[in-house]
Amino acid sequence: MKMTEELWLVVAIAAVWAALAAVYALVPSLGMPGYVRVWGGGAALFLLLAAVLAAAGWTARRG
Amino acid sequence: MDCISTPVATADTRPRLTARLAALPRGDASLFRLLFGAALLALALGLAGGFVTALARARALNLFGDDAYRVLTLHGVSVFFYWLYLIQAALLLVLAAAENGRGLALRPLAWLGAALMLAGFAASEWISAIGTPLLYDGSPELAVDDPRSVGVFALGYLLLSAGLAAAAVSGIATLLQPRRRGEAEAFSAIGFALFAWAGFLIVSAIAATNAFLPGLLWALGAGPFPADHGTEWHILFHNLHYLPLMATVLVWYVLTQHLTGVTSIHGARLSKIVFAAYLVFVPPTSLYHMFLEPNLSESVRVVGSLLSLFVSVPTLAAFAIIVSSLEASARARGATGLFGWMKGLPWRNPAMANMGWAVVNMLVGITFAFVLIQEKLAPMLSDTFFVPGYFHFFAVGVLTQTFLAALMVILPALGGGALWRPDLLRRMPALVTLGLLIFGTAGIAAGVMGVPRRVFDVGYGGMAPAAWPVLMALVGVGATLFAVALSVSVYGVVRTLLSRRAPATAESRRVDWTDGQRGVGAVPAWTGPLSVAVLIATMYVATIVAFEIIQSLPIVAIGGGHGH
Amino acid sequence: MSERHVTTRRGFIAALGFSAVSLYGAWAAYGAAPLPFGGHKGAAASEPDAHDGHGGGHGGHGAAEAPAEPAGHAGHGAAAGMTPEEFRSAHDAFVERFTQKDGSADPHAAVEAHAHGGHGHAGAGHDHASMGAAMVAAAEPVDVYLMAQKFAYSPDVLRLKAGQPYRFRMMADDITHGASIQLGSASRIIRLRPNVVTEQTITFTKPGAYLVYCTVYCGPAHDAMQGRIVVG
Repeated sequence: MKMTEELWLVVAIAAVWAALAAVYALVPSLGMPGYVRVWGGGAALFLLLAAVLAAAGWTARRG
Repeated sequence: MDCISTPVATADTRPRLTARLAALPRGDASLFRLLFGAALLALALGLAGGFVTALARARALNLFGDDAYRVLTLHGVSVFFYWLYLIQAALLLVLAAAENGRGLALRPLAWLGAALMLAGFAASEWISAIGTPLLYDGSPELAVDDPRSVGVFALGYLLLSAGLAAAAVSGIATLLQPRRRGEAEAFSAIGFALFAWAGFLIVSAIAATNAFLPGLLWALGAGPFPADHGTEWHILFHNLHYLPLMATVLVWYVLTQHLTGVTSIHGARLSKIVFAAYLVFVPPTSLYHMFLEPNLSESVRVVGSLLSLFVSVPTLAAFAIIVSSLEASARARGATGLFGWMKGLPWRNPAMANMGWAVVNMLVGITFAFVLIQEKLAPMLSDTFFVPGYFHFFAVGVLTQTFLAALMVILPALGGGALWRPDLLRRMPALVTLGLLIFGTAGIAAGVMGVPRRVFDVGYGGMAPAAWPVLMALVGVGATLFAVALSVSVYGVVRTLLSRRAPATAESRRVDWTDGQRGVGAVPAWTGPLSVAVLIATMYVATIVAFEIIQSLPIVAIGGGHGH
Repeated sequence: MSERHVTTRRGFIAALGFSAVSLYGAWAAYGAAPLPFGGHKGAAASEPDAHDGHGGGHGGHGAAEAPAEPAGHAGHGAAAGMTPEEFRSAHDAFVERFTQKDGSADPHAAVEAHAHGGHGHAGAGHDHASMGAAMVAAAEPVDVYLMAQKFAYSPDVLRLKAGQPYRFRMMADDITHGASIQLGSASRIIRLRPNVVTEQTITFTKPGAYLVYCTVYCGPAHDAMQGRIVVG
């Protein structure tokens, strides 16, 4: 699959958010489980958007 | 010559944006007008609430107890949630539809989103008017004996969130349509920004759900008391700051292109990186809202403070892109003089005036925001009037004026009438800014002295410093000035929305700097770097003054607290 | 396309975006940010809220920070790690023991009774406004308890001495409150969460009557929530 710059950027966003969620999840002493839910949910969302972006490009090439 | 000689675009050279808006399906235009109308209603309610609050705090009105805090709640709920979210949803949809060129995709979902947001609006306003005053953060601990207030308040925000998510999904689908049809291989810079912004709006809905669902469940007897609301609120609160700022910069891109024909001279890729940077930098920079929390460890405070230094990166980069592109384009057309190129901008257009003054407000606001992100200054400034003192530069001066500028361009193109009295409207942003400078200067000074954010009578039985009531009176003067000027702008936009007259033969003035790209950027463009240099210098001064004050206090205090 | 001037190049634009990060310099100069390569403004970096009214150093206060130094106060039975229940009990005992006829609380009024672990906190000779930082550092902190509740503080008037460090233990009893001290040109703001014991070691360097007020909205009489610290 061709990784366009847009795809890279969206994946990068997801990666940063996932890393942040992981930090809050793995260090419970930070005491902020809400950060895990929100930034983790955001990471999942942007991964989904990256998939949608890739699928749209794939559909266009096939069509 | 110290200015640019530039042709004024004529009515028959209709720009891409307004041409596309005018061609949108009638059903879409109706949805957009509905959302814009609701957003303007929220702004009007919030403006009225804020004005009454400022007068009461200046002791020009006698308002105490629950009544006072109900008005303050209405102000905050109306402006920070319904004005800013409704206008963002509307702008996302309308700009996505224009980008697509064929209207909205998943149109029923967009209508469902609008219906949910309006239901939330009604619920929130109703409970804010009659319930226990919860302020805009809806803290359940203020109403432990009034679950109805907590529940309906939370329900309002949850409906808003659901509607926001639905509208954002429709926006994303709309942006992807040209790709799925094989008409485009990549987004434009604006298209990518809209795509990222839509995702961010959904994340904000997730944050709101995380913060307010526990309150609703508790009110229904289906969950424990949401004792941790304060922490969850901060996540949403942080999103609430930067989401509309991203939208503002996006609107600046759109308006710059519309009003001058100029697109970034640095290419779409850099702009896309900058818009992506909003989402990269926002989450790690969120801790500064919590510096006064007794549970936050010292190491987290230090790290949070350092990370917060990066919070302005995308905004300053976008500012530099826009200003350097404008200046370089103007110079390529022969503009000379250090700042003379700016005279060529279409300042007689109210949208340009609003956008230009919004930039000034942004630079002032950032200066003081960076005092607040220093964790060692938080014990002097957080929870004081310093906070509303500086953030009104953003909320009113930057965000509201920018979004009104967008409406001044979009509404006539959507089939409304011509813009109401543009010669009057273009003068308002300067008055708004003057009012904000009075409000902000007095408010920031009051905050530094310790005036609390949310106290109507700051006399404390004669124990408070004599300067406090004087400063709050000045806050009232500034608020009156900017409220009146902003009301004129809002009235003009509402008149335009409701007008059935055909648009005037000539659109509001624009300039066309699209020619003259030859050799663009070959000569220096100093406005951006000079503006940033002045900004940094004032940030240094403000920060040093704050450190000097806190160090001069007759107290030695150690330990930010710790708890269980 | 002709060669771009440096001010219109992408790298320059990107650098402008990061320019506000340079404010780190001001922070570091005031010891409010850690320095790179191990450079450290030790006291300021580790004790962020410490600041000296005379512009001098205050390293000596480090030992007074409760979380870092629970030892030496074992007699209190509560330093770092005090539970809300322990706080309430200690607060009640404090109010009962030190409340004066005028309703104020003076922790020096019955110093013998308050003595613990073999060392008293009378602060004799420490009651002068010109107390130097070294003397401040030398004194042992005296425990003071402050409870915030709708819409008052307990005790609502505290009588303290200039130059004497006090270990303020504070807690909100019902909902979130503030306990901000107005100090003339600015205030020191403390946010109190319910059932979270907050500790700060505070030394007033000048006598005076300082307003204490709530900075977190807590209900209809929030405006009236105030107390006083009288420093002699």
